[in-house]
Amino acid sequence: MLPDLCGSRLLLSLPDDIFSVITSSLSPSDVCSLGLACRDLNAVVSSDKVWLAQCSKLGIKLLPLSTLVEWRKGVLSYRALCRFLIDVHPLIGIWVHQNPELGNVVYVMPGFLSLVGCRIIPQEVGPLGLEEGPILWTPVFEIICNHVGSASFFLHGRERGDDYVYPGLLKNSSADKNCNVLLLEVEPRHQSEGGKLTYSKSFARELDNEVSLSNKLSRSCSGRVSNSKSQKMPFSRLGFGDRRRLLDVVTSQIRNIVPKEANVMLFPRSKNDFGVLYERRLLLLQMYDEESSSPFNPTELGSSDVCKSLECTTTTTSVDQCHVTKSKTLSGFLKNGLKHILRKSSVDQESQKSTSSSSRCQSKLHEFLRSGDRVGLSLRAATMKLSSYRAWPNMHDSRFALYKLPLHPSNACDEYAGLWGATFGWPPGRKSEEKPGKALFLILISYEESEGEKLMIGTKILEGTSYVLHPNGSAMFIVNVNQPSMELFPIESDGESNYIEVKRSFSGEGVANGYGFRYPGSKPGSLFVLENGLLVFMWKESRVVLTLQRLDLGELLRKGERVNSLSPISNFAYLTKTYSNVYSGF
Amino acid sequence: MAAETGTPTTLTLKSNDDELFSVAESAAILSVTIRNMVEDGCAGGVIPLDNVDGKTLASVITYMNGISAIPADEEKKKSYRDKFLSDKDFETLADMVLAANYLNMSCLMDAVSAKIAQVMEKKSVGWVRRKFGIENDYTPEEEAAVKEEHKWTFEGVETDDDN
Repeated sequence: MLPDLCGSRLLLSLPDDIFSVITSSLSPSDVCSLGLACRDLNAVVSSDKVWLAQCSKLGIKLLPLSTLVEWRKGVLSYRALCRFLIDVHPLIGIWVHQNPELGNVVYVMPGFLSLVGCRIIPQEVGPLGLEEGPILWTPVFEIICNHVGSASFFLHGRERGDDYVYPGLLKNSSADKNCNVLLLEVEPRHQSEGGKLTYSKSFARELDNEVSLSNKLSRSCSGRVSNSKSQKMPFSRLGFGDRRRLLDVVTSQIRNIVPKEANVMLFPRSKNDFGVLYERRLLLLQMYDEESSSPFNPTELGSSDVCKSLECTTTTTSVDQCHVTKSKTLSGFLKNGLKHILRKSSVDQESQKSTSSSSRCQSKLHEFLRSGDRVGLSLRAATMKLSSYRAWPNMHDSRFALYKLPLHPSNACDEYAGLWGATFGWPPGRKSEEKPGKALFLILISYEESEGEKLMIGTKILEGTSYVLHPNGSAMFIVNVNQPSMELFPIESDGESNYIEVKRSFSGEGVANGYGFRYPGSKPGSLFVLENGLLVFMWKESRVVLTLQRLDLGELLRKGERVNSLSPISNFAYLTKTYSNVYSGF
Repeated sequence: MAAETGTPTTLTLKSNDDELFSVAESAAILSVTIRNMVEDGCAGGVIPLDNVDGKTLASVITYMNGISAIPADEEKKKSYRDKFLSDKDFETLADMVLAANYLNMSCLMDAVSAKIAQVMEKKSVGWVRRKFGIENDYTPEEEAAVKEEHKWTFEGVETDDDN
């Protein structure tokens, strides 16, 4: 192809704003390819205008231009901001887990230069109703954008009366926009190059000895020699107990008490909050950076130390408890504990010979630990093929994971799709002094084609009762979109003597007691769409009504009331089967 | 004016190389710049367009006439735009985007921008240099540094240099 000789002149002669219009139809990598061509082009494509267009192009509804402008003040450039947004925006949305059965809903939304994972606590709607009374929530994790746009992950948790953060890495391939599973994992790593060499040199030798010894140990355990570099044992292939213990050990070692100044709000309620949030972010990032640049990255932990902790979990609790917060403490702990670790390991090795059943697990674990010289916490966003039943994904009950609910964009024919809040009875979720509260339900409405019929499904994802009746993810109602109900709407006024007009109705069925807990039955009922936007489902026989109203979770959370978290692992994924509210009662 | 009397008004546009063009007012006011002039009553004589040359203005007027002949059907307008731009080379496109910007014609501006972007989509750095005759003025160290800086954008991206 003949070079278009005027090309570079042409490209460079385009005014900035035209250039940003053109590049807004390009992907970030295309923009960067232009920048790599020559210095002048790089100067042009590095402009904030170009990257502001890239940020807006992501079309993140929850991040309007005014927010982007505010966030820009905390980063190097819009390019840095764009890098962060591309990395994290697939995480925005509603995440759930089957357990506890009352519901485990984590709403991931923008904070301040961050994403915040907020768990909605199963709760009652107070006498003031949803609009006025604060919704209860607790932080699960945060992903904070640093100055250059890379993401720092913090798990939240509470232990012995203190709020902690547990730093780790976000593992998310930027190409993956459709991730549907978030996994909390421990990951083997190699000591990163650089760092403060003077500090680490003397220790490196000790570490070498330690690694070679632990290798010897694992070889004798597994009975074969394998090349640690060619084989990588993924965390997910370890046994449940090992995974649990690895997470326990890592979170007990790599953690920081949240400083008072940083233990305030996580997202802005008004413009006046930006100052406080800015300081808070710097504190957390400083904590993250200081430690990850030191030779003993506290987001990671020496593998052999983990070996030790895992192999004698019953005896090491005292050691676990007194650490960690500062990297120096951690390194000192590693040094001092070294001889102890190795002595312990050889003793354990003796004792393990007798228990051959556990040896396969042990060899897996050793293989896992051997593939790096340290371990650390990570949040991995993955795309998995999930089967689902009535819009509810089938989940593994032994994975430390959250599952994303697909939120269909509301188009004209799916006008009721999305998240709704619901309460039983009328008038909807508010007032009446005698009854202080009504259980709040969160319901996700989706549409499904089945045998030529278009169905609207109201999936229950959270309920605020004290003891759950139907499994998490049950369809509260399923109605046929093309079949109007023959029933009359039973209520004539809204409690304030305003006449109620019914816009549309659908017939279908609502959840009812069935065969045991796991398999609910159903009974006929109708869904009414009211003029004022409310939906009301009525069971035909019992005349019980469930009233639904649209929710803006982000808005409710900003006005909400934070309650204490659980311990870190349970705070992320509560895997024990339970039918009552594990999140309240603190 | 035109709409009231029922007789079509014709405007005369002058390019920066002194070519004169006649165009129906109803088509010309696709340009917000021209529409403002008409509304301000300064469109009586010849309208000088100092930033557009004759060749480009001819193209733009072809577009104005073509698109305004199509009734309010976004699909048909889009396919007209696609066809209109399909045979334009890069230089013409660049001139047209400047003209569309100057004339404040958002529909043409967006279409041409998208077309220009399409040309540059999924191309390697080498292709960009060859196509636009750009000389690599980076030192190897600088280039490596810029590459490193941009590394995050290239995850999972493959280039497509066929055309």
